[in-house]
Amino acid sequence: MFFSNFIENLAQCSDLQVRSILVVFIFLSSSSIVSMVVHIMKPIFFLSSKSYAQGEPEPPAPPPAEGELVGRGRQKGAPGPFSAEAVLQISAGFQQVKLGERGGRRRDFNDVGINTRRAMEHVKDSKLGTSGSPIPLTANFFRIMSRPEWVLYQYHVDFNPPMEARRLRSALLYQHKDVLGPADSFDGALLFLPNRLAQKETVLHSETRNGEKVQITVTMTNELPPTSPVCIQFYNILFRRILRILDMQQIGRNYYNPNDPLDIPKHSLTIWPGYTTTILKYETSIMLCTDVSHKVLRSETVLDFMANLRQKCGNQRFPEICAKELVGLIVLTKYNNKTYRIDEIAWDHTPNNTFTRGDKDISFKDYYKMQYNLDIVDVNQVLLVSQVKRLGPATAPPPGPAMLIPELCFLTGLTDKMRADYMIMKDLSTHTRLDPMAREGRLNRFVRNIHKNPDARAELDKWGLSFDKQLLSLTGRVLPAERLFQGSRSYDYRPSEAEWSREMRGLPLISAPPLENWLFLTTRRTSTEAQALLQSLNRVSGPLNIRIQRPVMIEYEDHQESLLRTLQQNVGPQTQMVVVVLPSNRKDKYDSVKKYLCVDCPTPSQCVVGRTLSKPSSLMTVATKIALQLACKMGGELWSVEIPLKQLMIVGIDCYHDTVAGKRSIGALVASLNQGMTRWFSKCVFQHRGQEIMDGLKMALCAALKDYLKFNNYLPSRIIVYRDGVGDGQLHSVVNYEVAQIIESIKSMGHDYVPRLSVVVVKKRINSRFFAQMDGKVSNPPPGTVVDSEVTRPEWYDFYIVSQAVRSGSVSPTHYNVVYDTSGLKPDHMQRLTYKLCHMYYNWQGIVRVPAPCQYAHKLAFLVGQSIHREPNVKLDELLFYL
Amino acid sequence: MDPMFSPALHRQRHEFVIDFVRSYKPKKVVDLGCSECSLLKQLKFHLEIELLAGVDIDGAILKKKMCGLAPLSTDYLQPRNDQLRIDLYQGSVTQKDARLIGFDLVTSIELIEHLTLADVKLFSEVVFGYMTPVAVIVSTPNADFNPLFRRMSGFRHSDHKFEWSRAEFKSWALKVCLDYGYEVEFSGVGQAPPGYQENVGFCSQIGVFHRLGVSEVCNTLCSTDAEDVSSYTLLYSKIFPSLRDNNILRRVLASEVLYWAEKLGRRWVEEKTGVKDDADTPDQAGGDGEERHRAPENPLQLEEKQTAACGAAMKSLVEHQEVGKLDRELFWTDGGGQQESRKLGRRRRSRFRGQWVCRRHAVPPQC
Repeated sequence: MFFSNFIENLAQCSDLQVRSILVVFIFLSSSSIVSMVVHIMKPIFFLSSKSYAQGEPEPPAPPPAEGELVGRGRQKGAPGPFSAEAVLQISAGFQQVKLGERGGRRRDFNDVGINTRRAMEHVKDSKLGTSGSPIPLTANFFRIMSRPEWVLYQYHVDFNPPMEARRLRSALLYQHKDVLGPADSFDGALLFLPNRLAQKETVLHSETRNGEKVQITVTMTNELPPTSPVCIQFYNILFRRILRILDMQQIGRNYYNPNDPLDIPKHSLTIWPGYTTTILKYETSIMLCTDVSHKVLRSETVLDFMANLRQKCGNQRFPEICAKELVGLIVLTKYNNKTYRIDEIAWDHTPNNTFTRGDKDISFKDYYKMQYNLDIVDVNQVLLVSQVKRLGPATAPPPGPAMLIPELCFLTGLTDKMRADYMIMKDLSTHTRLDPMAREGRLNRFVRNIHKNPDARAELDKWGLSFDKQLLSLTGRVLPAERLFQGSRSYDYRPSEAEWSREMRGLPLISAPPLENWLFLTTRRTSTEAQALLQSLNRVSGPLNIRIQRPVMIEYEDHQESLLRTLQQNVGPQTQMVVVVLPSNRKDKYDSVKKYLCVDCPTPSQCVVGRTLSKPSSLMTVATKIALQLACKMGGELWSVEIPLKQLMIVGIDCYHDTVAGKRSIGALVASLNQGMTRWFSKCVFQHRGQEIMDGLKMALCAALKDYLKFNNYLPSRIIVYRDGVGDGQLHSVVNYEVAQIIESIKSMGHDYVPRLSVVVVKKRINSRFFAQMDGKVSNPPPGTVVDSEVTRPEWYDFYIVSQAVRSGSVSPTHYNVVYDTSGLKPDHMQRLTYKLCHMYYNWQGIVRVPAPCQYAHKLAFLVGQSIHREPNVKLDELLFYL
Repeated sequence: MDPMFSPALHRQRHEFVIDFVRSYKPKKVVDLGCSECSLLKQLKFHLEIELLAGVDIDGAILKKKMCGLAPLSTDYLQPRNDQLRIDLYQGSVTQKDARLIGFDLVTSIELIEHLTLADVKLFSEVVFGYMTPVAVIVSTPNADFNPLFRRMSGFRHSDHKFEWSRAEFKSWALKVCLDYGYEVEFSGVGQAPPGYQENVGFCSQIGVFHRLGVSEVCNTLCSTDAEDVSSYTLLYSKIFPSLRDNNILRRVLASEVLYWAEKLGRRWVEEKTGVKDDADTPDQAGGDGEERHRAPENPLQLEEKQTAACGAAMKSLVEHQEVGKLDRELFWTDGGGQQESRKLGRRRRSRFRGQWVCRRHAVPPQC
């Protein structure tokens, strides 16, 4: 976003010099490390010397005013240590120039250069919490060691007489290896060296093969400190190069090892083990964050997949099912190393269709034969469409969609259907789910391999860099377990299990509306199970203090239409609840029940699959869970934890991306209504293409505030928003756009209404992992572990919490980034409040990964996106009907 | 230069080489002066090539471009049948290197004009006299064509040491043929505008040399007594995953057999019980979130079924191989959805046959 703005602005400049930057950016896709860094450097260099000096139109969001010419490394003649302040400025000033990956999109996946901590006075000095007991941990980070005083030197190279050919220029400079040293990167104009040349200006003499004498002037222009963004970028490129030296294949953003695949022939899947790697400036040092990653690949082509599917589902339903399965998947092609996302299927195209290449039309079949010697066997196959999103110069027309041949594409990843298949997931998890011990072992092996590989070592040595051999050690804190309250009773759970279903047994709920007028729908086939459920419900409801009257039992025919008709005839305005026993887990019936009862006739409903009830041994457990769900769907309150802050409203936001139905995204907002965080207001909005999700959620937030006012007779004096569903590289839009929108919608409640506001970005999918030592064994950190030092980012007010407990595999911490905070809450209180909120999700008698409102919002968005596809009725706003 | 050729001239030159590769199917190909490796990049898709080499004097540019020649991810997913190795050397074509002896095709595209005439002599000696490939393709600018570039004076590129007319090129080529026992055919790419072709010829002139008496075994014998020199530096060597590699073969074979065993087994179970597996019906749990459970099948029973199915699968596999031919004929007359399945089956099976053949090739040397 920033980047394109930047380009546009530049395009308006009349200065030819500046315009040449555009050209430079086009060249960014060049594959080599050398040209990469240098090309990136160029615009920075030009910017500082040209457009500022000549008073050209300003680039968007100029860097901070303190100190001139920040961010582009240290200017020559200003040696000295780098203050933390300077580093922050560097990082901030750099945000206009987003760096890109090789040949890919120029997106900043690490949200570098967004400095939110600066604006928050109360965390400027320290963002450390205090409560809890310290625990020694290791994390999947490796320090990057460089010589003290390590600096990357940037030189400008001039040729006299001027040399046109870039190759010739490098060849001429190459003759002076003895002066320049073994490591250099040169693109024809800029040269980077890890060492300082003796003079500021070095004059060299070369001779071309024609005997022409050339004078080369190498002038130092810049010294880049290790923490400068260019250097960080440089490290990442260098590291990617090392991964390639280790024979890894790049797929998407990560690198995988194709030489050691795991095959699961049963499902025709192949798993490549690999690593995600990021090198960034973390709190105190530059570190490599690396985690084990697995890539699931299919050993069959898309054409094979389609043929299989057609065989399975028949010709009629094939187009619909095929689109559903394939759209959104990533494919690899047989002829290049690019990945494409399938956006559409072109049912009316075949490989015999033509496209214009140069000035001629050529068929796809001929093109692939000519260009890649690939024979397309099936000429009747349909084609796949991928919208290529690449940011080019603003003047160039956007690239059209790419047409792909199914026969030449391999699928990667899992389809939604496979994800839902218990057997596949089980088989996969045996390979991919690593316990902490195995994971730590793999990471150590990875870094050992880098150290052992002579080529990789040579590459690092050349630049004077090395990696720590040990995982980073740090200290975290384990927050004390919370006490749970149910009315007058209270209890503790066992901290190691993070779960209280046993403790809760036999305790009455805080409150549950009596269930008096409700329907119980079943088919004839499932009537025995239904009876069993009803009996068990009666048995479990007593101790829980839910009063359940006899329901109206209705039998329905096992058709979608007949089920819908039964609902239409029987559900009235007085109906409190509808329970439907479904004979199979077919989605269409579930969808029609939910659609009717959420939109047309607002009534809470509960579906149960018959098979769940068939096992007598687990029936009581199932019935208890269903009873709890019934209670909270009607507005009951199950349990609570102590929340010390008064007049507080917690808001959770998440979104769901519906890739099939017109690519709509759904945003959901859930806000607390009472002091105990037991009642919630929920709203969801549809986002259409080109619209920010917050546009709709603004209205939802206003509605939530109004409802809060109605509920409590006052407006909240503190609002804390937990924003989930922010992708890598989208942080800037939250910081720059959404926060303003939130403030605006709060303002709309009244002029004199100024509550304290905090906005916290919640991220579940992160690569950080923590390991604890327990009884001499590497294990997961216990629930409640907080990490707020070392691996956090200096420019953010952020922390990690491991709130949940997992039975197998490694636990994944959740990252919280407070991007806006006028609450004045101490970091410790913020952390503890967040942890408390993870206890409040009523569909699970335990601690969840994210604060409850986020989990609720996720659940709501998912239900709407998967089943209802419309906005639920407003009458349900105050109920957790979507659980 | 004016964009007067379509497709671009450099592309036409590469096309020329590729057409040659298509018709002669050389197994070992070396590109002298490969520079940015763009020709090699195209040639690696030609499955009949087993050894692909590139030589350039500029090591830096090779290092820069060599990563682009690495196997694609999909090359690992579906390994090729025959092996392929790509080697890149940094060295001068005026020097000898024993590793380049005995190739089937040597290409030298727009290279010789960058050499001095003395070096061209050395080049001829090295390529035709020492490397003694079966065929050589040499392309160089045609000076006769230059008057058509109106705005141009001197040579087409500042680094060109000469540009030959057709006659000059011919005399060099014929001398080479005479000295080293080759025959030459002249051709070119880049047609002149209508009417000029007779007078000026092609923009790039190309000589295709074939060694005389290739059928005799002399070549391999001659090369053995050549001194073992290696003046080039090997910068890059990459062996592509292929079924010739026993480990890969074993893995692919095992996974393919298991896949089919599983598939046939499942079909057998379906036929026996008449119940379609749940996984095939449109999925998605109707129940809510966490309360979903699935009754696991009796594992012992399943295992038994699987072994039985496995036997059947192996048997039917053999049968399939035999009826393969019949199958193919059927395939054309069949209609509808069945065709799809047959097509798929055939593809899988034909792949299989390839593997069995490979196995025969691959295993004996070790056994």
